[in-house]
Amino acid sequence: MSERETLRVTNLVKHYGSVHAVDGVSFSVAAQTVFTLLGPNGAGKTTTLEILEGIRRPDAGSIEAFGERRSRIDRAVKERMGVLLQDSQFEPYLKVREVIALFSSFFRRSLPLGEILDRVALREKESALVRTLSGGQRQRLAVGVALVNDPDLIFLDEPTTGLDPQARRTMWSLVSDLRRAGKTIILTTHYMEEAESLSDYVCIMDHGRIIAEGTPRGLASELGEETFIEFDGRGLSDAQLSALGSAGRVTGAGGELISLETTDLAGTMERLIAWSKRNDVALRDMTVRQPNLEDVFLSLTGRRLRD
Amino acid sequence: MTGVVGIARTHLVTNLRERVTLFWFLAFPLFLLTILTAIFGSLGTPNPTSLSVSLVNLEPRREGPADFAAVVEEAFAHLGASDTHGRDPLFHLRRPAIGEDPQEFLDRERDAVRIGDRALLIEIPAGFHQRLDAAIAGDGPGAEIRVYTSGGRISSDLARSIVDQVVAAVNGRILSAVGRFDPSRALTVERASIGSSGGDPLYIDFLLPGVVLMAFFTAGLFGVPGTILFGRERRILKRYWVTPLDSRRFLVGFSIGHLALCALQFAALLLLGRFAFGARVGFASPTAVGFLLLAAVVFLAFGFLISSVARTANAGMAIANVLNLPMMFLGGLFFPIGELPAVLRGIMFINPVTYLADGLRASLGVSAATVPFVTTIAVPLIWAGVCIAVASRRLRWDVER
Repeated sequence: MSERETLRVTNLVKHYGSVHAVDGVSFSVAAQTVFTLLGPNGAGKTTTLEILEGIRRPDAGSIEAFGERRSRIDRAVKERMGVLLQDSQFEPYLKVREVIALFSSFFRRSLPLGEILDRVALREKESALVRTLSGGQRQRLAVGVALVNDPDLIFLDEPTTGLDPQARRTMWSLVSDLRRAGKTIILTTHYMEEAESLSDYVCIMDHGRIIAEGTPRGLASELGEETFIEFDGRGLSDAQLSALGSAGRVTGAGGELISLETTDLAGTMERLIAWSKRNDVALRDMTVRQPNLEDVFLSLTGRRLRD
Repeated sequence: MTGVVGIARTHLVTNLRERVTLFWFLAFPLFLLTILTAIFGSLGTPNPTSLSVSLVNLEPRREGPADFAAVVEEAFAHLGASDTHGRDPLFHLRRPAIGEDPQEFLDRERDAVRIGDRALLIEIPAGFHQRLDAAIAGDGPGAEIRVYTSGGRISSDLARSIVDQVVAAVNGRILSAVGRFDPSRALTVERASIGSSGGDPLYIDFLLPGVVLMAFFTAGLFGVPGTILFGRERRILKRYWVTPLDSRRFLVGFSIGHLALCALQFAALLLLGRFAFGARVGFASPTAVGFLLLAAVVFLAFGFLISSVARTANAGMAIANVLNLPMMFLGGLFFPIGELPAVLRGIMFINPVTYLADGLRASLGVSAATVPFVTTIAVPLIWAGVCIAVASRRLRWDVER
């Protein structure tokens, strides 16, 4: 394991009865990067993370953290890591500053209270009880708690799930700040946009396995020089849909969104417009875009991320 | 010590801030102490259960020791005075003021009885001595006093039954004075059998240790699983395990916080008992402190046991409720336990609360020990050991998946 790697995982396995939650996962995380596990719910992202956080023991596999091979995540590693769990809460009757002080007391080394409060913009709420905080404020508190020990390695499990767009953008800028500050971040998400905009490296997981990995741009470019033309296809008849086959390759005809995949954008557009005039179809909400991680997942599994 | 103090403080502070737990751990025991003392204590404070009774003697005074009308009057007057222990009188007695016309008093008080302001009116009628003398001489039905009550009122019935006993006693005295009655067979009025159950030591001294144990019991059996299972369900605990804090330190901190909570409960109950109800019992002896500590630890262990066998917080509360009834009420916390059916005696026999209450009260000198001292320590300790053994094997820190 090189100096530039914070974490390396080899052949990690975790079974719950007959369920293969994690089924032979291997990857390495470069220092000072954002590493993302992308996949639908139940893909094994959280279980993988919880093994790395020391909550669960793997059935098989090895973990190297901070240059040392370990049978489990021990106290020494925990002193250097910060965690945002997916579904955890704090004592509802503690005040914000008490929560941060409590978690600070667990570590040998911790940042001053004021610095944490400023970092997650909770200075005004420091005397508020946890139970009175909004969803976004709670999530910021959870991030603050993950940072109390000024960790080198930060786990963020689904950090924006359930947040409104404003709170989500705040979280994204926090992650970018942490990366700039030289932290190594391991992130899980089922939001394709989140993985694309934040990650240096992405592993796509499905059914406990890694099915693709690379940089976001690199993964998308593996699909070739294709372009997607999409529009709202509600109310189309089967005959109209089959006639659309002459315009280009239809990939996402199952639901509301009709998706045409093509390497000849100009020609396909011409045929599409001709088809729409012939069938009297308004091309509502039509967009033209380059392939993204969602398309990668779709091409690998035949399913969408949020199915 | 990393994190131990923080966890202890968190446990204490969150319990004190949450209104529901504050009620059950602090307000309810204080309330129970107050209400049980009010009902069964009757200690020195004005007693609302004193019966309101009026007494008028219409018979003119007769010189000498044979003024039996005055004897009867004094016998009732005695019931209107506090006894030497300072306990409340049975009767709140009204008599004509000096110089007031007895007949006017009689008319006014009859009205008072009619509208329910008095439980009873006693009239010693004019001619009392004449009729009495005739009866003693053997040619008359005897003297009578008139008693006015309003029908259907419990206080009137109660007052009349007391009057009947007094009359029987007075009859005995009069008859024995004239040599026609054996005084050893005379009825006597034993007012203690009717009035409050006070005694030495006071009921509050018996009750206070019981309510302290009940408060510890509630905090242990309900509070501990409440915090642990709630914390597990909400993943509050899980968040701790991704820090250097381990479950051992958590348990040490949690237990310290719990004992601090018990200390607060104890202090509040002691202050109320001492200053509001005049409890004299002191908890300063090392044995008493030892029993309090033992009780807090035993109930803490029961809390861990419940936390380890219940899958959810709701299930934990249900188990605590099931244990609550037999343990609390078949442990002699509030009343001395008399004769019980065999099954209930069996529960009492294995119930650690029985031994804790017995040992604590004996160490306080409130009541005599009914089981050997060693047993009062050994049985609760065995329970604590069993609970901790089961909990250490079965307690889960994270929700199962």
